[in-house]
Amino acid sequence: MLAQGPADRIEIDAGMLARFMPMHLLLDAGGRALAYGPTLERVLASAAVPGARFEDLFDVRAPGGAVTIHEVLERGGSRFRMVPRHGLRVGLRGLGLPLCGGKRILLNLTFGIDLISAVRDLSLTDADFAATDLAMELLYLAEANAAVTRELRGLNLRLEGARVAAEEEAMTDALTGLRNRRAADLVLERMCAARASFGLLHMDLDYFKAVNDTLGHAAGDLVLANVGSILRDQLRAEDCAARIGGDEFVMIIAGRSEPGTLQAIADRIIARICQPMEFEGKSIRVSASIGIIRSVDFATPDAAHLLASADRALYAAKHAGRGQAVLLHSGGD
Amino acid sequence: MDALMLRSLQCYVIGTFGAARWQAVCAKAGLVVGTFEPMLHYEPGTADQIAQVAAEVLGRPAETIWEDVGTHLVTNPDREGVRRLLRFGGVTFADFLHSLEELPGRARLALPDLDMPDVTLVEVGGDRFEVTCRSHLRATQRVLVGLLTAMADDYGALCVIDAGEDDRTTVAILDPRHAKARRFDLALPAR
Repeated sequence: MLAQGPADRIEIDAGMLARFMPMHLLLDAGGRALAYGPTLERVLASAAVPGARFEDLFDVRAPGGAVTIHEVLERGGSRFRMVPRHGLRVGLRGLGLPLCGGKRILLNLTFGIDLISAVRDLSLTDADFAATDLAMELLYLAEANAAVTRELRGLNLRLEGARVAAEEEAMTDALTGLRNRRAADLVLERMCAARASFGLLHMDLDYFKAVNDTLGHAAGDLVLANVGSILRDQLRAEDCAARIGGDEFVMIIAGRSEPGTLQAIADRIIARICQPMEFEGKSIRVSASIGIIRSVDFATPDAAHLLASADRALYAAKHAGRGQAVLLHSGGD
Repeated sequence: MDALMLRSLQCYVIGTFGAARWQAVCAKAGLVVGTFEPMLHYEPGTADQIAQVAAEVLGRPAETIWEDVGTHLVTNPDREGVRRLLRFGGVTFADFLHSLEELPGRARLALPDLDMPDVTLVEVGGDRFEVTCRSHLRATQRVLVGLLTAMADDYGALCVIDAGEDDRTTVAILDPRHAKARRFDLALPAR
């Protein structure tokens, strides 16, 4: 600190003041405007005239209740917030101090957090701010942040897409396009937990091993892929068809408990599978056996128990002669 | 840094030569996924390796490709953000050159863990500058050359820009107001 005395008094003319503080307002002792910084002049537009009273120019928000510049400085110390009554309605933050033994009052203002909208609305440029102002850095940071956020949002969407695809893949049997064992177990567990009523079909292809042995795996794969498309064709979107083993399939028919309906679905599937398929000019014939059970036959449906019962029904179907569907009522509960 | 370079390379190749050529680059490089994520981390040096493959596929030197990537970063309308962020550096092209030393600091404000190369600028004469950019990637200097060329254009300045030895690039401003500068508003219009 300098000692009080003539040495620490400096003179500064209006031009210099405007460069150091483009948002200043110089008032006389009565609170009337003597000079406006060039940027503040743009904010206030036509209201920025010499002699205008502070309280006519600004609506003071803090300190609360203060109206005139004297009240502002008295109550709020040197810091305050206000909004221009004319020109651009933008929040301004400021600092004010009496000068020249109270004959002048100097205010220096800033846009604070409203900087970006003020810059946009007044088309301000670099030259409208003091060289020491951090306005450019703030504008830069706001845009850099927006760009980073946009990239992160994009990354999130792409990762989410990849996750959904990976999950779908993890639940799908690649050869037939049906669900796999894991997916079928999940669906079954979920439906048991919800006490939903549904029919469970357990299907095994007949003569499939013979196709594989005589015509090779390519022929076997063709049969499996065909069965896949038949099941997709015969079932509704809310049903679930899965390949759970080599030539073993499980179908969950949602909301169907009538024996006749379930039997008809199974018969239709078998009829389609029994139709000859063609592989490299040769005709292939397979058939299928299906065991049917109904969730309503079980007092406390449980996935493992239901699958075991469906397997017994399938065994009964095979035993009864192939190419048949057998519905087993007694769940064995 | 590799992630940003790779992403920029990907955008440039897809935008200029089409997705099929980029897929060819990825296939030749043995990549399983054909997308580089700007916000993820890649092994340092990956960008130079992929550029070498791109050079073979596209039949042009890697240096030329990187210079074009630098220009594309600034001029591509989809990436207007990069040009805007750079224009915050100053009102004239010389101001902008001086702001290059601040670039790593500015980038770290937005992405604290970004390993930006150190940039130093020396004013060697009235309108002559030397920019030194030390990076583990050979690509960096060339991207800088392309970027400076495009920014000179943006400011309407006529310049000679030379990539020299030791990561040093010289910039000679022949005429700072050779053409009309592209318009730059400090704030984007409200959406």
